[in-house]
Amino acid sequence: MNPASNNGLRTIVCLKVVPRPEEVRVDAETMTLDRAGAQSFINPPDLNALETALKLKDACGGEVSILSMGPPFFEPYLRLALAVGADRAFLLSDRAFGGADTLATTYTLAKGVEKIGAFDLVLCGEESLDGATAQVPPGLAEWLDVAQVTCALEIEKVPGKREMRVQRELKGGSETLSVDLPAVVSVKANVNEPRFIDYDRMEWALQEAPVGVWGAGDLATDPELTGLAGSPTTVAGVRQVATPDRRRKHLSGSAGEIARALADLLRTQTGSRGG
Amino acid sequence: MAASLIRPEEAQRIWVWLEHDGTSLEGVSLELLAKGRELADRSGEGLVGLLMGHELDSLADEALGYGADEIVVAEDPLLEVYTTDAWCDAAAQVVLEKKPNILLFGATPDGRDLAGRLAVRLRTGLTADCTDLEIKTDEPALMLAAEVTGFGGGVAAIIACKENRPQMATVRPGVFRPALRRSHGEEGVQSRCPVRIDPGRVRTRVLERRIGEAVDITKAEALVVGGRGVKGDFGLLETLAGLLGAELGASRVAVDEGWIEKDRMIGQTGSVTRPKVAIVCGVSGAMQFTVGIMEADTVVAINSDPEAPIFESADYCVVDDLFSILPPLIRELENSR
Amino acid sequence: MSAQYDDGTILLDDATLERFHRATGGEAWPCYQCGTCTATCPWGRVRQEPLLVRTLMRNAQLGIDEDGESLWLCTSCGICEDRCPRGVPIVRILRALRSLAWKDRRIPEGLPSVLWAVHRDGNPYSLPPCERTRWADDLEVKEFEPTDEMLLYLGCTASYDRRIQKVARSVVGGLRAAGVQFGTLGASEPCCGETALAMGQTAFAAEIAEANAKLFAARGVKTVVTISPHCFDMFQNHTPRLDEGFEALHYTQFLARLVSAGRLVCRGSFPRRVAFHDPCYLGRRNGEYDAPRTVLESIPGAEIVELEESRAGALCCGAGGGRMFLETPVGERFSDLRVRQAANAGAEVLATACPFCITCLEESAPQVDQPLKVMDVAEIAARALEPEGADVEATASGR
Ligand SMILES: Cc1cc2nc3c(=O)[nH]c(=O)nc-3n(C[C@H](O)[C@H](O)[C@H](O)COP(=O)(O)OP(=O)(O)OC[C@H]3O[C@@H](n4cnc5c(N)ncnc54)[C@H](O)[C@@H]3O)c2cc1C
Ligand code: SF4
Ligand code: SF4
Repeated sequence: MNPASNNGLRTIVCLKVVPRPEEVRVDAETMTLDRAGAQSFINPPDLNALETALKLKDACGGEVSILSMGPPFFEPYLRLALAVGADRAFLLSDRAFGGADTLATTYTLAKGVEKIGAFDLVLCGEESLDGATAQVPPGLAEWLDVAQVTCALEIEKVPGKREMRVQRELKGGSETLSVDLPAVVSVKANVNEPRFIDYDRMEWALQEAPVGVWGAGDLATDPELTGLAGSPTTVAGVRQVATPDRRRKHLSGSAGEIARALADLLRTQTGSRGG
Repeated sequence: MAASLIRPEEAQRIWVWLEHDGTSLEGVSLELLAKGRELADRSGEGLVGLLMGHELDSLADEALGYGADEIVVAEDPLLEVYTTDAWCDAAAQVVLEKKPNILLFGATPDGRDLAGRLAVRLRTGLTADCTDLEIKTDEPALMLAAEVTGFGGGVAAIIACKENRPQMATVRPGVFRPALRRSHGEEGVQSRCPVRIDPGRVRTRVLERRIGEAVDITKAEALVVGGRGVKGDFGLLETLAGLLGAELGASRVAVDEGWIEKDRMIGQTGSVTRPKVAIVCGVSGAMQFTVGIMEADTVVAINSDPEAPIFESADYCVVDDLFSILPPLIRELENSR
Repeated sequence: MSAQYDDGTILLDDATLERFHRATGGEAWPCYQCGTCTATCPWGRVRQEPLLVRTLMRNAQLGIDEDGESLWLCTSCGICEDRCPRGVPIVRILRALRSLAWKDRRIPEGLPSVLWAVHRDGNPYSLPPCERTRWADDLEVKEFEPTDEMLLYLGCTASYDRRIQKVARSVVGGLRAAGVQFGTLGASEPCCGETALAMGQTAFAAEIAEANAKLFAARGVKTVVTISPHCFDMFQNHTPRLDEGFEALHYTQFLARLVSAGRLVCRGSFPRRVAFHDPCYLGRRNGEYDAPRTVLESIPGAEIVELEESRAGALCCGAGGGRMFLETPVGERFSDLRVRQAANAGAEVLATACPFCITCLEESAPQVDQPLKVMDVAEIAARALEPEGADVEATASGR
């Protein structure tokens, strides 16, 4: 359906599948996460990254590949991304990759990017809903030894040059960067409205589209650097902190007392991220 | 495991990366200096602030006053503005030279940008967006136990990095109290660490910076929202918003009545907002409205009707006339400035 | 690309023509451009520039690609279709044109997010599926079993919208009063897909409908009763029948049957002047005008008055066709006209039987001078179930 093109941008979008946060529970006995009962979806900012990639493709041509690391059940979600508009997809899936922290994850993803071949741009969602580390894009850029931009708001190709203009969020504002390609760019959540599935692509996406599944052997990864073995950090414990429900706490007293309580609350809430 | 470039037994001291705008330190850096001091005292380690940039003399003097035992300054013309490549190269040189045990960053856009890359270059672990830090003094190599939240804030985990050094973490702004300026005589020492940056390796260039421009309500960190109950007068709400650095938002009724611009409408046919806090005044809480504040971290509702459905979508509920609550609230906030 | 010039010359191209014909199935051809549709469309009453339905039909015939903004105005109220002398299925054609607009990505902002929500969360409001049963937290409504008389299908709005949850609770009150054995699908209740269909995502809607048909067959559903006329229309007209199939009913139809069978008797009263607003998806789209009136007429004390435009001529509330998710500026809302008609008819209560109608009419109600309460037929019935009408909704303890 979509022959590889030699012109335009070769973009790789990293995509992750995450469990619905409100359905994840901590098993009080084993102190581990129980995701089994939770439904999953595509990490929402990754759809913003995909939309950015497809817009760039609309503007300057090229092709969009999806890259993901995870268990085989991710595959249908990759196919969904193909139905939205991506051209091909690759899933890095191997028991040896399990239990990876960001160091091992970024190493494995970098090996996947290298195996896909020459690229201009790797786009990631700002952060994942489950881990919320936002460290994958910079780590990936380091392994690949290419330019990096995080918190991107807008991306534009500079015509005729291996260069992009990227608007990036700063604390209290933004900056515009000129970025040499190839580069890894992470896209802020909600910067665009992801286009919906194109049902005309569905049959192709579900049945014909190529989804490469690569294991440790295919990538020739160093076992010391992948999965649990390649992860310097360990989880020492988990606990449930809050249900996503609203607290519905009533403040009562005289108007003055309520005002004081509210003022205290707002001073901490506006300084911090609450929750 | 990826071999650590720094061995645990040679790593020492707690380091804080000091973020700044050229004239003053970031709030989160002061918070980390305070927390770092506490951890240092508990473990008998030293506390070091790492200041990077160009022509930093006055800032370096300023930084000395917040409890660090030492301020290490790394200067280079290429560090004038933040770019990932230049700053990561410089930071890596300092770290490999000085071998910190713990290295903390604020989880700001630049802090996360730098820490994420540096951790991979140093082949070490990074715990991101921490909400608490603790030090395990009983462990042989002073282990950092960092708390993070995931899954939309519903689950907290404690993360440790056992063998690789430095133990790196980015910390969410606002979770610790900022360090206070100390009196003279209690200040630490200043030192320099030379760095060499190859301009050819800096692959991004800053063309323009814009700080403090108007934000649209979908990006606002705080919102003060009015509905039919404000009865045409957004004045008090505007004053409150000014004090909180918040933007004004509105229900459809308030927009329909012409009390406020249309682009401030929240909800199903308005905008979906994601502020840290929303103060919602005189809005009944129809679903067409509440879907627009579902993703707010904290919702405060003020409504005179105890039965108003907005209270089911609120964390803090005030059943009262907004006109009797807002004036004393504004006074409280003004007084505490 | 087809184009139209100022002097009236039209340039057509075969590819676009072909594309339009495939999408519309050539159903626009019978149109002979009389303009009745444009003249009857309610947009002409609230906007300077009416919705040029006739022009859209001609564009569909000739394959003229115009900027499709007006395409998204249609509320699929169906009044134009009802009046069209040529029986042109106007709403279906407009949906086909919308589906082409999706291909060209000329779609109003916000709609893709609504569809992603339906795809991901199973409801257009982006709310978590696990919260779908909250409306019945204290009602002890059981899971559906094949031996039940019927499946009560809440739909997304009655499940999540607190205002409409009251309607659902009233329906439950009525069913319990009549001794009906029923169940729901609980948190696993899927979206009916009408939002997707209305927005022109026909393939997505068909995918949902097929899954629902399988689900109904697997669960042994023989009768499904909906709160919303939109879900009813989706099940009635756009969901395939597998095995023995199933019967789709709107809850007013089910209650009317109970009334006729003597199973539902209101012992209390509701002494008010009540006007009924016919929801388009119940009335014109499915020909059901009598059932809600049968229920209202069975309520002692209720004095039923007809609105100026009622039954087949009823004015739309403005929320169909996906308009519930698109902003309509003040002054252009059909519901404003409708509440004025209710006031003119001297109604104290404007009754209706659709979640979207309730939302729109209730928002417009403060615009008339006299007090006008907007209520669902089920709410009125629930209030009149018992003497003194204490029982507005079902409660945990009672029925
Ligand atoms: C198609 C459609 C789309 C819609 N989209 C949106 C949307 O995107 N956003 C939106 O907001 N609405 C939307 N609505 C409208 C929505 O249904 C409600 O009508 C609207 O949100 C109500 O606004 P409100 O709460 O300001 O007014 P009301 O419902 O009238 O509530 C006013 C509240 O103020 C309280 N109050 C009054 N005086 C005081 C006082 N002195 N102190 C404290 N409290 C006081 C009252 O108790 C009451 O609860 C939509 C409706 C339709 C039909
Ligand atoms: S009313 Fe029917 S025949 Fe007349 S213009 Fe409209 S669609 Fe065509
Ligand atoms: S269906 Fe109703 S809104 Fe749509 S064009 Fe016809 S009359 Fe107008």
